Amino acid sequence: MSKQLSRRSILGKIGAALAGVLAAPAARAAKTAVQKVFVTAGAPKGYDPTQHKWRMAIDTNKCIGCGLCAQACKTENHVPAGPYYRTWVERYVITKPKPGAAEARGEVMVDSPEGGMHGFGDPPVPKEDIQQSFFVPKLCNLCERSPCTQVCPVGATFDSPDGAVLIDPNYCIGCGFCVQACPYGCRFLSPVTKTAEKCTLCYHRITRGLKPACVEVCPTQARIFGDLLHPVPNDPLQQFYDNNRVQALKPHLGTEPRVYYAGIDKEVR
Amino acid sequence: MRRFFHMPPQILRLFLLAVGIVSVYLIARYFLTPRSFGEYGWYRGEALAELAARQPMYAGKAACEECHSDIVQQLSKHEHKSLSCEGCHGPGQAHADDPRKDNIDKSSFAVCLRCHEANPSRPKFQKQISLKTHYTGSKCTECHVPHMPSEVP
Repeated sequence: MSKQLSRRSILGKIGAALAGVLAAPAARAAKTAVQKVFVTAGAPKGYDPTQHKWRMAIDTNKCIGCGLCAQACKTENHVPAGPYYRTWVERYVITKPKPGAAEARGEVMVDSPEGGMHGFGDPPVPKEDIQQSFFVPKLCNLCERSPCTQVCPVGATFDSPDGAVLIDPNYCIGCGFCVQACPYGCRFLSPVTKTAEKCTLCYHRITRGLKPACVEVCPTQARIFGDLLHPVPNDPLQQFYDNNRVQALKPHLGTEPRVYYAGIDKEVR
Repeated sequence: MRRFFHMPPQILRLFLLAVGIVSVYLIARYFLTPRSFGEYGWYRGEALAELAARQPMYAGKAACEECHSDIVQQLSKHEHKSLSCEGCHGPGQAHADDPRKDNIDKSSFAVCLRCHEANPSRPKFQKQISLKTHYTGSKCTECHVPHMPSEVP
């Protein structure tokens, strides 16, 4: 660098600074234009995701297997027809052990005809041969350390601050990695949008102060929903935690599910 | 500075190439990073609002109560008090927005059986009937009142 200031160098510097000032708004305008391609319309205001911690819990002792939840979910979320479910109900049938087999339990049979959407018919074995039978509603386990969000190559799925694990449909490329990563089988590739879909905890409902559709229609309150940060008087969620010995599905995987179950058997996974 | 430009030309070229690649990356990142990226975390914050923008199909019991408070009151005194209206009557947001008689389900026989048909997998507390032994006439409502199950019509 020359030690003396020349007219030429000063003019050059002023010109460069001027160009920079003029270029900044142009660049910003261009940036906005580029981003408009990715961004769609806005949404309801007044909901702050950082001020809520939504949780779901399932009391299987109360589930009567009516399947209203699975049907309501399908309707509410416009889930494509066919074997695609964001929530479903499984029936566990454990048969009596064969006489003389010296076993505690017999065979375990699990079925979920149409996700339990239209209820359940007769069990696969006669009533006399059943040792234990019960229904288990399933949904996204809302893992604290969700494998599905970790594998997404484009960062389209994420753990929102209010406790839902969501998918940004504008960024999902439909590769299906997350579908394989979920140990609970809670995701699927939609044949309509060709992107991954899953339980959103009815995000469009909970942000409006409504309960998720499955919780709304459950006739026996087997599905319990609440906000850890804003417990209501006689909060059903708090009562569930207080009065039950709870467990999570597949705890050995270290996914730390936030959905707790009460009354499930060791066979449930 | 002069010494800098006197670095061996092959190194200088590599250096300029690296600077070029990094600046192309920075410019691309400036333009392509979504506006709300990083608002809540390592994702597009606006995605939350977009997912929340969908319209509900089920209006919720509170919406039903706005007009049908008498029936909700009646229901709350009997065994079916824990039931949601829309469990039997189907999704009601359309009816709540535009209350007409033809955009809400009048529930039927199948709705009762969904919960009350005998099934060995159901918990014992649930009242169940076997269609073979229970009255198999045309309507459950001949003997039972859905909103007040303990009453006789």
